Amino acid sequence: MLENLLAAFTAVFDITTLGFMLVGVTAGLIAGAIPGFTITMAVVLTLPFTFGMPAEQGLAVMLAVFVGGLSGGLMSGMLTGIPGTPSSVATTFDGFPMARKGRPGLALGIGVWSSFFGGLISAVLLVALAPQLARLGLEFGPWDYFSLVMFALTITASLAGDNMLKGLIAGALGLLAATIGEDDINGVARLNFGLDSLKQGFAFLPVLIGLFAFSQLLSDVEDPDRAKKALMTGATKAVKVEHRRAIGEVLTRWRNLVQSALIGLFTGILPGAGGSISNILAYDQAKKTSKEPEKFGTGVPDGIVASEAANNATAGGALIMMMALGIPGDIVTAIMLGALLIHDVVPSPSFIGDEPVLAYGIFVAFFLAHFMMIGMQAFCLRIFVLVTKVPMYTLAAVILAYCAIGVFALHNIVFDIWTLFWFGVIGYTMRVLGFPLAPMILGVVLGNIAEVNLSRALAISSDVTLFFTRPWSLFFVTIALFSAVFPWYQKHRGQQRWTLVFIPVLCMAVSPPLFMMEGITRPIVGGLLLVLGGYMLWRRWQGGWKLDAPIEHPAPVKET
Amino acid sequence: MGRLNRDTYVALFLLFACGVFFWATLQVEDMGYGTIGSEVWPQLILAVLFALTLGYLFQSLRKQQEQPLFEGGVRGFLRRYRNALWCYALFFLFLITLPWLGMLLGGILFVFLALTVLGERTPRAVGIHALIALGSITAMWAIFTFGLRVILPEGEVFSVL
Repeated sequence: MLENLLAAFTAVFDITTLGFMLVGVTAGLIAGAIPGFTITMAVVLTLPFTFGMPAEQGLAVMLAVFVGGLSGGLMSGMLTGIPGTPSSVATTFDGFPMARKGRPGLALGIGVWSSFFGGLISAVLLVALAPQLARLGLEFGPWDYFSLVMFALTITASLAGDNMLKGLIAGALGLLAATIGEDDINGVARLNFGLDSLKQGFAFLPVLIGLFAFSQLLSDVEDPDRAKKALMTGATKAVKVEHRRAIGEVLTRWRNLVQSALIGLFTGILPGAGGSISNILAYDQAKKTSKEPEKFGTGVPDGIVASEAANNATAGGALIMMMALGIPGDIVTAIMLGALLIHDVVPSPSFIGDEPVLAYGIFVAFFLAHFMMIGMQAFCLRIFVLVTKVPMYTLAAVILAYCAIGVFALHNIVFDIWTLFWFGVIGYTMRVLGFPLAPMILGVVLGNIAEVNLSRALAISSDVTLFFTRPWSLFFVTIALFSAVFPWYQKHRGQQRWTLVFIPVLCMAVSPPLFMMEGITRPIVGGLLLVLGGYMLWRRWQGGWKLDAPIEHPAPVKET
Repeated sequence: MGRLNRDTYVALFLLFACGVFFWATLQVEDMGYGTIGSEVWPQLILAVLFALTLGYLFQSLRKQQEQPLFEGGVRGFLRRYRNALWCYALFFLFLITLPWLGMLLGGILFVFLALTVLGERTPRAVGIHALIALGSITAMWAIFTFGLRVILPEGEVFSVL
């Protein structure tokens, strides 16, 4: 491990890589600060520049943009009350009031340092957990992988918005789009409608960029009057960040910091659940566990610490999932997965063992990017003030052209730009009609993995009951079913009695597959979950099945 | 029966698309090898999509409120989405003319036209748009051509010049 870590350090601590990473962090910080300009968009735009770089360097730059973007959202949120990205929505609840009370420097400082410490906790856990999870992943057979993909799609659809059906339809459309062209197993062209250009199918990245970036830009300029105005009209000025005081404030709240970072990390591990969810979950939890919950929303440091530590930690969780199992945790890691595929690196449970320098390079770059983010924050604050004067339509027109150039550079074929265009049309139409894009993107990414594993599973045995009798597969099928019901649980929580048994039954339902697994630890965990589920049911029965007040989520969940 | 809901139109379109794609899976060549044929996986997805869309159709039919396909008719649709439609039209034009204009000239023209259509159209603003288009695309073209060694489409016009 030490050798690999040293080799990774040598690769990342190259002067060119460091320089590119610095530019990446700066770009991410500025992009994250601009409302309407998401982190995904920043990573998408960075991607073409990394094609010519070695894999370690390219991924280090993309990670730098990712980390910068996660931290950049707090600048506009605190200074103007408009969050730069959905990942920093909860930051504004206390950050903006604190800034308005005359402490913008302290508010920014707490935000920046919470992001930093949250990111570091997540980086340490990334190094510790990713190899362990990968080892676990080596136990997976094709049945388990197929069920994992189905779970990833179900949970993404359930977390993507109000309408679960639309989310699932979007996921199925993504899977369908991935089937067009030659299939990987038999090499037969399909669904090409007689068109030669479709025989090879669609390249993965133009589809992703079209669906997400192209459609996002058009949504940003949809309102002609708003498109012509500067990004922010309020008086925005750079302030001096109070670093020393902020570090003290954050570290005295270490319990909240660690709790929020863990919430962020776990949310990141769940496929499809990104920083937009984790910051609100952590804020809710910090409020619940606080001795002074009534002060939340008035400008207390705890609110900022929770939100910012959680959203940066989410990145580590998403990376754990991508590196250990090859399943992207969110849209940004889906794009990184695409970048790895360009370099002929296929993330899977054997990825860390097969490509140790690259894997440890990702760990090192993620760690390093947080230090760079701290260093560049003050500088970016000044640039941010200038960028806010630019109208959205200017950015949109230029970025659309850049998307075309970047996509062409992928394989040097014009067909990829056509793919970008058509999927841009599809993505925008879906946005207008209220279909979430995250499940579709995940469907495109995971479609091939699902098909290959289904084929392998059926080649080994034609017995389909194996999908329900193998422990890991049964585990994923069970949580997929519960995640499908989750939107109804969320909607009726505190209003209907059946919601009181949802979590206890979930705990009890996942225990049988854990009992079926080898070793001692997992059956013990299964037993504990069974006891926990039973205890929760008993408590609710003791309480006379009384309904709790529903928890209000202050903002809708959007894609980052 | 009142006007159909927007979701109903979308569901009907998706059902039609399912039918078209299913027909296309029947045209897939059977090579006679492999555990499962190449058409099986798409057919499985289409079956799931069909079932989900049926659910969506019933959900939309049960909705009480009538949401038309386009608010304010076709004119309202054109007014609301005019910026997006302009962008698509200009991007389409950029793609169609790419073999002649190439990435540099085509890109500059696209950005200039998009800026002018989306933004202000005063002589000063048009001048600024021209400068932005020229500067942004030339810079990116230079980075890709000389820095990243990517040969971008040159275009017949550019090669003649």
